[in-house]
Amino acid sequence: MSGYLEGVLVLLAINVVYAYAAFLPIAAGQLNLGVAGFAAVGGYASAYLSTTLALSPLIAIPLGGVAAGLVGLGVAVPVLRTRGIYLALATFALGEIVRASILNLEVVGGAAGYPVTAFIRLPTIAMFALGVTVLVWLLFATRFGIAITAVHDDERVADLMGLDVRAFQVAAFTLGSVIAGIGGGLYAHHFSYIEAQYFSISLSISIVLYVLFGGTQSVIGPLLGAAVFTLLPELLRGSAQWRYVLFAAILIVVMVIRPQGLITGAQIRRLLGLRSSASQKERAA
Amino acid sequence: MLGSIYAMIGVALTLSIGVLKFLNFSIPGVFMIGGMSTWLFIRHGMPWPLAGLCALAVGASASLVVERFTWRWMRNAQEFVPLVSSMAFLILFENLAVAYWGSDLQSLPQLFGNADWRIGGLVISIPQLLGLALSIVLIWGLSLLLSRTRIGRGLRTIAEDSDTAILLGVDISRIVPIVFVIGGLFAALAGVLFALNYRQVHPFMGEALGLKGISAMVVGGMGNIWGAIAGGLIIGMAEALSIRYLGADFVDISVYGLLLFILMVRPTGLFGGASAGARA
Amino acid sequence: MSATDPILTLDNVSKHFGGLAVVENLSFAVRRGACTGLIGPNGAGKTTVFNLITGVYPIDTGRIVLDGVDIAKIPSRRRIHHGVARNFQNIRLMPHLSTLENVLVGQHCRNGGLFGVLQPVSLVPGNRWREEARAALEEAGLAAYERATVGSLPYGLQKRIELVRALMAKPRLLLLDEPAAGLNPAETDALRERITAICRDRGITLLVVEHDMHFVGALCADVIVLNFGRKIAEGTPEHVREDALVREAYLGADAMEPRYAS
Repeated sequence: MSGYLEGVLVLLAINVVYAYAAFLPIAAGQLNLGVAGFAAVGGYASAYLSTTLALSPLIAIPLGGVAAGLVGLGVAVPVLRTRGIYLALATFALGEIVRASILNLEVVGGAAGYPVTAFIRLPTIAMFALGVTVLVWLLFATRFGIAITAVHDDERVADLMGLDVRAFQVAAFTLGSVIAGIGGGLYAHHFSYIEAQYFSISLSISIVLYVLFGGTQSVIGPLLGAAVFTLLPELLRGSAQWRYVLFAAILIVVMVIRPQGLITGAQIRRLLGLRSSASQKERAA
Repeated sequence: MLGSIYAMIGVALTLSIGVLKFLNFSIPGVFMIGGMSTWLFIRHGMPWPLAGLCALAVGASASLVVERFTWRWMRNAQEFVPLVSSMAFLILFENLAVAYWGSDLQSLPQLFGNADWRIGGLVISIPQLLGLALSIVLIWGLSLLLSRTRIGRGLRTIAEDSDTAILLGVDISRIVPIVFVIGGLFAALAGVLFALNYRQVHPFMGEALGLKGISAMVVGGMGNIWGAIAGGLIIGMAEALSIRYLGADFVDISVYGLLLFILMVRPTGLFGGASAGARA
Repeated sequence: MSATDPILTLDNVSKHFGGLAVVENLSFAVRRGACTGLIGPNGAGKTTVFNLITGVYPIDTGRIVLDGVDIAKIPSRRRIHHGVARNFQNIRLMPHLSTLENVLVGQHCRNGGLFGVLQPVSLVPGNRWREEARAALEEAGLAAYERATVGSLPYGLQKRIELVRALMAKPRLLLLDEPAAGLNPAETDALRERITAICRDRGITLLVVEHDMHFVGALCADVIVLNFGRKIAEGTPEHVREDALVREAYLGADAMEPRYAS
């Protein structure tokens, strides 16, 4: 495999992981604007563990995810008492605090960045990305997936149906933070070097944009969004800035034409349930 | 002190949240446009007052473009869509600026000679003082506009309930752009004042400085324009204190730490609670 | 009401919004196994009573006793576990879920532990809960719409799905808020027969808010009439129809005949 292709596929796999990290809270009706911050916690924690304690990245990266999840839990529990935009703002603040804190944390290199000795290649990264995708997929085939969509659609009725709305929101958010941390760990161990500036608000925003572009109503949406926005720039020539300009412009236009994202839950069901919708038409006729 | 800059960005953000329940992430981008345009016009030989006015026009126009592509289409879409589109605009504005002028720091010439005013050991920059006074006057004007005029009444009706406003005959599609123009003017003016006072602009100034306006807005209480001023001054003060006692590296931690702390402890902000439409 | 074995008792319940009393010192009992109608003019507080029973709003004073338990002290989320389920006046299904998934949400209170939540109900073809939900849809004649996204279905179907969802909780007391609203006469008759059969077969007690007096008269043995948040009459449908206060409330003092809302 050429180095270029491997590079693109690595980016794709990491972006898929990030996209699911942002997707879980969005599916439950909460916006996480600090995905990059949680990725930074996971990235630095796992890098620290694998570098100083010589842990295998296969263990250090999930542990980094746990660290990010704990931070997520710590924010979600107090902030989810209130509603809507407050959590988005709190996660935004948290992302900036994490970034600024790392700049001052000499034990992981501070502003100079942090070199990571352990190195993982595409197969490992792809395995993690696949694992995360399958996990989220399975989760949405359980009552949990139905419940968080229910919470997203109508909190009041979900509560009256006996669903613990806050517990589901906290769970979705925390699990998303864990996944973000894993994404950060993958990034750190592939690129052998991390710096705080990578985990900026721009990264968080881009990730949320992938997910909304792909569609938030099904588990395929984030996959599609991450794929389009990793592969599309590679097909285009021109500088990084123009790619970003195009990325943003496409997104703005798509949101105008198709605010529900490229793919919706109803479409998936139609694809999967060809027979039943055909029989439905028969009966209706 | 940057407090008055944050206050003006905070006012632009809070106006959008208060009236439209829309967290407009493109506002820091418009702030950058205000600053970069001022630099650009002065570099092309315009006198600074004219450059500032032109920069305001550019900022307001950019804000109108945002209105066309976010609010107008998505009033009934899923809750996060306008927010996310406004973020896309922030990325768009930043990278357009980088694509045309590069990501370097650009410097403006010294415009006012030495205009510092010394009282004992205290150094007060007169342009900065004028900037603060100007922003307070403008915010006072805005509050008069909101409370006294027909447009203001329309805006307050929309803030209560946009469906009712339509029933009452408020022409939303004509009045909402006004919110974006006013917000754009405030954000761009913050950019102009920043450019003239600090004489340094760059494409990511919106991200680095403009986003602190969000802290100003939340600390003061979302939807409350006087709260945004108080919030801006508090954020400016927190910055000055953390530079003095903790070092320049801790500025962002203090500002965003304060934001997170307020959100956890008192999400309605220090002066919030009574104002309409703080929910999103 | 001289109900000897009430399943639900409201005891001096009051609710104020701001300075406005929407329910004032309301007491009534619902006979076990019977069907009780809750009627009254618009704004009488009927839906509010439902919201107080299910905990959408906390009550200001009084007690709401369900089978000996004061459910007013229980958080709204736990009340369905005590056997009270409801539908909504303006249908409130989850628009992004399929019909089957909406019905699965109705089972949550019976299968909501960590193990239940992580059960792959949509993945394993023979899953017990999934089969139960499908059987319920089949019984209600809705099997064809199992995979349809409910947001795209017509109003009448959504109303029927909402009823199936409420029944999935296996309630002892079912609260129906205007179940016949928006249905044509044939549909209304079919609905009445279905509700009667369900309640008889499963031993469910019914409390119905309804405008349609024909529907209430045919379905309910007991009727409670509210006006301005107070109880103004109760008894059999015939008795209530003759009551002067009720006539006045519905039509003003010169009333000749209670209106039969369509």
